[in-house]
Amino acid sequence: MRDENTNENAVPPRWTRRQFLGTLGGAAVAAPGFSIAQPAARPNSPKTVAIIATKVAKYSHAQHFIDRFLEGYGWQGKHHRPSLRLASLYVDQFPENDLARERSKRHNVPIYPSIAEALTRGGSKLAVDGVIIIAEHGDYPKNEKGQKLYPRYRFFKETVKVFEDSGRAVPVFNDKHLSTDWRECVEMVEDSRRLNFAFLAGSSLPVTWRIPSIELPLETELEHSVGVCYGGVDSYDFHGYETAQCMSERRAGGEAGVKALQALKGDELWTRVERDKPLAELFFGALARSHSLKSPPGYSVWKPSIPWIRKCSPDATGFFIEHLDGFRTTQFLLNGYVRDFTYAGRKQNGEILSCQMQLPMPPSNTTLADFFNPLVNNIEQTILTGRATYPVERTLLTSGITIAGVDSLHAGQKELETPHLSVAYRPAETSTYWRA
Amino acid sequence: MAPPPQRKLTVLLDALEPGQPSQQLLDRFLIGYPADGKWNAPAFKSITVHAPREAWKADGGLGRRAKDFGLNREDAPAKALQDASAVLVIPRGNGVTANEAATEAAIEASPENTPIFVHGSLANSLQDARRLTGLAVNRKSPLAAGMQLNTAGRLPAFEIPLDSQLKEALVVVQGSFGSGEYAGIHCLLPLIERRAGGESGIKRIYRYQGPILWGVARSGRWPRRLLAPALSRSHSPQGDPVADGRTQDLVGLGLVEKLASAPRGWVVEHRDGFRSTILILDGVVADFNFAIERKDGSVLSAQIHQPPKPNEENYSRLAAAIDRFFASGKAHWPLERSLLAAHLQSAFLNLSLLGGNVSDLSAMKPPIAYRTN
Repeated sequence: MRDENTNENAVPPRWTRRQFLGTLGGAAVAAPGFSIAQPAARPNSPKTVAIIATKVAKYSHAQHFIDRFLEGYGWQGKHHRPSLRLASLYVDQFPENDLARERSKRHNVPIYPSIAEALTRGGSKLAVDGVIIIAEHGDYPKNEKGQKLYPRYRFFKETVKVFEDSGRAVPVFNDKHLSTDWRECVEMVEDSRRLNFAFLAGSSLPVTWRIPSIELPLETELEHSVGVCYGGVDSYDFHGYETAQCMSERRAGGEAGVKALQALKGDELWTRVERDKPLAELFFGALARSHSLKSPPGYSVWKPSIPWIRKCSPDATGFFIEHLDGFRTTQFLLNGYVRDFTYAGRKQNGEILSCQMQLPMPPSNTTLADFFNPLVNNIEQTILTGRATYPVERTLLTSGITIAGVDSLHAGQKELETPHLSVAYRPAETSTYWRA
Repeated sequence: MAPPPQRKLTVLLDALEPGQPSQQLLDRFLIGYPADGKWNAPAFKSITVHAPREAWKADGGLGRRAKDFGLNREDAPAKALQDASAVLVIPRGNGVTANEAATEAAIEASPENTPIFVHGSLANSLQDARRLTGLAVNRKSPLAAGMQLNTAGRLPAFEIPLDSQLKEALVVVQGSFGSGEYAGIHCLLPLIERRAGGESGIKRIYRYQGPILWGVARSGRWPRRLLAPALSRSHSPQGDPVADGRTQDLVGLGLVEKLASAPRGWVVEHRDGFRSTILILDGVVADFNFAIERKDGSVLSAQIHQPPKPNEENYSRLAAAIDRFFASGKAHWPLERSLLAAHLQSAFLNLSLLGGNVSDLSAMKPPIAYRTN
């Protein structure tokens, strides 16, 4: 059963609030012949998960997830052992520094040669209670727009095939954006609706520590969000969008969808910032939450200014995003000037809220990437309850924004209309960031 | 609207050392710093530095700041201090060892009522801390001391409500002898002084060095049960996590004892029955964490957040606290905390030098008892 608002070519739907709420919390109606998330686990035995990974090496995303399931992690003042058992692995690539085989051997978790076998654990039917897809890092080609073609969609579709063949579906987590192709992103979300399984996705940024630890109440009269981060296009920009979106979606009326996007660099970028005083105020407000503003050699601090930022970050990129309800998001990638993720938002009464979404990043600052702790905990809750702890529509939208940002840059910093990004949704009532 | 800039800040330095408090704080007062979501402009119209002559020659850092920001040089301490609106004393290094002569000069040569902030230890002994406090009282000059751990954020972010019913506290830090103890004391005191009745003073100090530390834990000499909640807050466990990135239950797997190189433990019995423990565990984790047990048995724990180098933005939080002190003459924490820190630091040093295991301070009068705000 396909969403009636979509056609054969998976034209992106406009999900209304009512439709979204229906899927998030309403009565579960699965495709014919489907049972809904019945556990594979026997009574009194822990639920099981399979991790489907591109590669497992020190500090690869998959390593962070696998180890948290196998070894546990610090959570709310204890070393928490997940009540889910990692039962099987599929790993796409085995580089020289592979850790998958060592983990498999030490913890007696089999690595299967295919996704289907990992999910069925060598049998004929789905034999796990949750699927975790970590398709980040690894040797994969790039397309002409510079997007790295991680096999998230392929991994997901092979998972869905097992669900269909088994007549049963279980919760799925997809790390980072859904795909580099919008139609594939939509198809993934549609599959989760068609087969009625909980689908959680995205970045660790929305769930990590915030400094200061601020919550945006639901229905906040917010008018503009600004995020500042670092990293590559089609890479960390996605984390930046998720940083801003987990705040923006809590505005009055919820998320309305995105109408247009333009990526800018160089003079065009900085002229836009200089001319838009309210934007500049938010930009510098976000920077004031950074712990990594670059200073000239020999100095500990340096006042942020556009000339200095331009000097430090000559390849800076700004993404100007117009939402359908008039809300604005502006995201900056300032490589060479910052090395953290910060946010500032203006309420309609002029008040500015700002914070850093804190990433204790190894190896320079820590030995563990513990921002994965809250993400893994959200995955646990999703699989244990069968309900996503936050809507996948957030990541559907940020995936689409990421793709549109790439497209705008590829088109020579052109402003692009984005009618396909009319993804309207409401956030979960409780924000899920790390605070205890 | 921002208040009008104050007149003149005098900074007494031993040296301008890259990355050390001298550079971190001087730059923030010269250039400004981020705080509370905005850029705080310098609060002083002029800044004068008095430092040894070799400090001006060392690497050109002070001279460069004179050129770039109009930093004033004054080689005569009395002249540097005579018309100061506020004085900042920053000893060499990280603040473990106080420059009592500089602080004394600041108190004596600055105008009466001039706020004076000392980075790090107020003094190297309780006797000297009390002497300096007395001098400041005579001059009616507000005096405060502290360091960046005093204003550090916590992960998770929480404050211990005043007059909390606390039973005991455990702080885990790292560092060489002296530096580790200094860090531990400055992590500990801002937490435990908020217990019901406030700080009551010290009764006894116990020193456990080496493997004996683990043996005495079994007989309850320090609260080993608080080690797991404290270390669960760490983002930087050592050992296997360094080798291959894995998470690890250091306490549950019995790895703490194996990883700790030359562990040191200090158990402090307070006069009200409260007990504090500072563990200096190099090789176990590489961040500072604590756990506090309430009288109802519940446990609070957190990491004391230290933002990354080179910015070390905890210095911005400290600079903001110092700025508020200079503007109001009122410190955000009582000077008695600095007296107690000096007392503990020197008591730890003496106990180590003498090779003793216990120091009985129950007869000391008056005890350092205070309440925070």
